[in-house]
Amino acid sequence: MEILSHLMMGLQVAAEPYNILTAVIGLILGVIIGVLPGLGGANGCAILIPVTFVMPPVSAVILLASVYWGALYGGCICSILFNIPGEPWAVATTFDGYPMAKKGQAGKALCAAFFAHFVGAVFGTILLTFFAPLLAAFALRFGPPEIFAVMLLTFSAFVGLMGKSPIKTLVATALGFILAAVGIDIVSGQLRLTFGLVPLMGGFNFIVAVIGLFGIGEIFLTVEEGLKMEGIKVRMRWKDITDTLKAMVQYWRVLVLGAIVGVWMGFKPGGATPASFMAYGFAKAGSSEPEEFGKGHIAGIFAPEAAAHGAGTSAMIPMITLGIPGSPTAAVILGGLMIWGLQPGPMLFKDKPDFVWGLIASTWYGSILGLIIVLAFAPLFAAVLRTPFAILMPLLIFICAIGAYAVNNRMIDIWYMMLFGVIGWAFKKLDYNMAPMLLALVLGDMAETAMRQSLIMSQGSLWIFVQPPIALPLVIAAALIFFWPWLGPMIRRWREKEKPAKA
Amino acid sequence: MNIKAGDILVAVIVLCIGLLVGWDSVRLGSGWGLEGPKTGFFPLLMSILVVGGCVIIIRQAITGKSSVKGDKPFVLPGGLRPVLIVVFPAVGMVLLTEVIGLYIAAMIYLAAYIRWVGEFRWRTVLLISIPIPLIFYVVFDKFFLIPLPMGLFGAQILRF
Repeated sequence: MEILSHLMMGLQVAAEPYNILTAVIGLILGVIIGVLPGLGGANGCAILIPVTFVMPPVSAVILLASVYWGALYGGCICSILFNIPGEPWAVATTFDGYPMAKKGQAGKALCAAFFAHFVGAVFGTILLTFFAPLLAAFALRFGPPEIFAVMLLTFSAFVGLMGKSPIKTLVATALGFILAAVGIDIVSGQLRLTFGLVPLMGGFNFIVAVIGLFGIGEIFLTVEEGLKMEGIKVRMRWKDITDTLKAMVQYWRVLVLGAIVGVWMGFKPGGATPASFMAYGFAKAGSSEPEEFGKGHIAGIFAPEAAAHGAGTSAMIPMITLGIPGSPTAAVILGGLMIWGLQPGPMLFKDKPDFVWGLIASTWYGSILGLIIVLAFAPLFAAVLRTPFAILMPLLIFICAIGAYAVNNRMIDIWYMMLFGVIGWAFKKLDYNMAPMLLALVLGDMAETAMRQSLIMSQGSLWIFVQPPIALPLVIAAALIFFWPWLGPMIRRWREKEKPAKA
Repeated sequence: MNIKAGDILVAVIVLCIGLLVGWDSVRLGSGWGLEGPKTGFFPLLMSILVVGGCVIIIRQAITGKSSVKGDKPFVLPGGLRPVLIVVFPAVGMVLLTEVIGLYIAAMIYLAAYIRWVGEFRWRTVLLISIPIPLIFYVVFDKFFLIPLPMGLFGAQILRF
């Protein structure tokens, strides 16, 4: 019941007119950002962070979170109407979304995606509301070794579960930590890795890196591939909505399963993409007409979209409770927290309840407002994509430059942004995973401090990292996940050897 | 250059960065100081991961075990030109920003790109390239009080 009273307090904060206005603006911007290829939620939040400096922290986080929800909603417009997944987790939606739109049911396909998002959002929000406070209370007992173990688990998850090349993911992660280390060492105050160069003394800002890696790099890739925007026109009718609602009743199991897979997978870092594919697979396997999947089956939209939004929402849970973000966008929001002068981690629930509960409450009405906005204005948002690329592209670069400069008011950051753009372009082609690199850049100081403090506590003994009861299981789990790319095939081979022996 | 060569090239560059970081970490001291690990301890650990990882990546690329393989070109055929057409004007805009500030540089950049790359009519060009930076100027400079780069002369030109 304590949670409910906190939630009521949060709703009071979040329902102030200024905050509701912020949420609506954030959602609209978010949908536009999600629709545009090359501008994902992480990027949009990064560009908007300077704007939040002039806001109170609660409104600031509501703005960024709303952009995030909006971008999740917007992503599916791009994949259904244009067959271009705006985000990696929207790939599964193109399987059935685009064929359906081609058959002239674009409105219905979009409705299905939006309502599926809503279901995912509701599940994620419920988990966020009721599970996050418990986790935070538990995490209050964490000391440096436990924090370090959680970080280890986070980054192991990226290496073990994500990406095509585990070794490249590992290198990218280490590179992110190195970038974070450049500048002043926060423990000893020494300058390091600056090689006597003044511009390097300020270090690398993660916002600049996000804008470069995910924004400019993506623009380069799009230009190189010569992407043609040929979308299907869409009109929303009442019948589309009523048809979708009927289908939702029929396929409620697919929706619920998708959402549950989503919130479960999304809790772990990098979980949204596998969650959307898993949910699609489950929906197809459990269907009575699996041959219809891929040709425009409505359940093929329900499952991945519910999973993607559920995963996106539950990615906020580790961010707000442990200070460890589950997705690149959550990482940017976490970086924003640090800039606003808040210390992320379990103490946030005790120190700033109005902030935490304002954020949680805003996700409640944010999901509903988001649904209304996209349902009402979907054709309008799709029109954004029809803006000729020669106009859109220079505008995007201009906006990115504003975002990169405004974080620290340093001209050098615009140059860094261009440099990160080239890095992002090359890394994307070569399967280097940039999400953990970004996470490492955001969490670098925290991870290093946790590690060094632990070693100081133990006077140099490494055993402190595997001490029971909390750190040990976390480290074991991290090791298992880390070596999964090698363990998995080994187990499979071992099983195959068993089989013929039995037969 | 095919993608295999690109793979090796990028890995070698990253490897060199790793070596550089490792060298500086050792210089700063990476052992045990008076009270705990020294400044270079963590960077050295990371540089070891980077260097070791890059060696494996290069080996995988040479033996054809990399996740990106085949004779695919590193840059798509006909893809380099459009990328350079984006990169050069953008770099030009940043250079101009140092002199006349971001807003005016953006006006020139937008106008030039939309006119000569997009081949739009002058009316369209001016309707986009002049008002949009001005709107950003009013929103950021006047409304949010976030100063954006003015360069050497930008403040003299934008005087409202």
